[in-house]
Amino acid sequence: MWLKDQMMQRKSKTLKSQLSKVGFFFLIVGIIVFISTPLRILKEEVFEEMRLAIFQKNINEDNNTTINNVNTENLTVTTEKKEEAEENDKKANYSYIGEISIPKIKLKRGFVSKESKYNNVEYNVTIANISDYPDVPLGNFILMAHSGNAYISFFDKLYKLQIGDEATVSYNANTYNYRLTNIYNQAKTGTVAIYRNPSIKTLTLITCTHNDDYNQTIYIFEEI
Amino acid sequence: MDLSIIEQLITFIALPFQSFLTIEILLIFLIILIFLIYNEKRQSKKVKYSLISLIIFFFSLLVFYFQEDIVTVLSEIIKTIMRCFYFPNILFYILTTITSLIILIYTILKSNLTKLNKIITYSITLIHLFLFTNFISLAITNNISLTDTANIYQHDNMFIIVLFSQIIFIILILYKLIYHFCHIRHSKLEK
Repeated sequence: MWLKDQMMQRKSKTLKSQLSKVGFFFLIVGIIVFISTPLRILKEEVFEEMRLAIFQKNINEDNNTTINNVNTENLTVTTEKKEEAEENDKKANYSYIGEISIPKIKLKRGFVSKESKYNNVEYNVTIANISDYPDVPLGNFILMAHSGNAYISFFDKLYKLQIGDEATVSYNANTYNYRLTNIYNQAKTGTVAIYRNPSIKTLTLITCTHNDDYNQTIYIFEEI
Repeated sequence: MDLSIIEQLITFIALPFQSFLTIEILLIFLIILIFLIYNEKRQSKKVKYSLISLIIFFFSLLVFYFQEDIVTVLSEIIKTIMRCFYFPNILFYILTTITSLIILIYTILKSNLTKLNKIITYSITLIHLFLFTNFISLAITNNISLTDTANIYQHDNMFIIVLFSQIIFIILILYKLIYHFCHIRHSKLEK
């Protein structure tokens, strides 16, 4: 009887220790699953900061080149820089050609050229194929991005914008300021109709409607 | 920011009496302190547990009221750690290298370490130092200024070298921590 009791006690102890190990394992897995998405978002933010810092540095260097772009020596430098930029785009560590900033929602994202393979909603805020660049007179600069909870949801806070809020686009060493004038929704059909004043340069942002799987929201900004 | 030392001290002393809330917070902390000191004589378990629950309750209240700010602060802390890992500035990178170098020298000089431990430490530290040397030579050959972080990381080679250096450094620190933890436990068991 005594031996049997001892055996039973040992068995229950082993079972308890095994159960606690399994519980600990599941706890660790749970924590990892729970924090993986926020960590990924933070990692993306850190990488974005560095990309923007590189973009700003390149802008400053370009500005210096433009200022000194008088003699023929510096013209050669400009050509080299163009080749360098093309080379940069081929690398995994791609470089930006511009930056959009909306202070109200603390949005600051870079964008790559339309031709770049990273001009894709899976990587960046994306320039639409039919879009003009910000330096085109009376043009419409169209940007698209995901919204939601994923780490690529760059336009996840656009729904907080109100008419009158401001946005800034930096492109080709120039800054363009815009003010939000219109917000409207459309059904997700694969195409978007953009209603804007053609006599004013505009910035259009397109993303999925907040908490709505069937609509997309279009934000029309006009240049100030 | 431009206050004199005396002004700084006066401001510091006056801080807890600025509003009713700050006086209240000061009183709570004073009461906790008095109870803790008094309980050192009595050693009552009930007081201990109730004080721990009171402190936890107090900080839970803070977390509840300043949820958003705490999340922002936590995100900033994690982002700073990530910046140090992925894009450390040159000062931080040099500091990790110096740490690695000190560990290497210590391991060479220390005679009572096991052979296996020495071999592992030599390998990891030398890989780390080799990567650092490579980093410096790449910067010199490509004429890259190391003062600007963005300047360093626009080059893929530099980014990869630093990333792997950081991974190696973390492995080294983890190895050392685990080794010392096991060593302490082992010596305790032996005793």
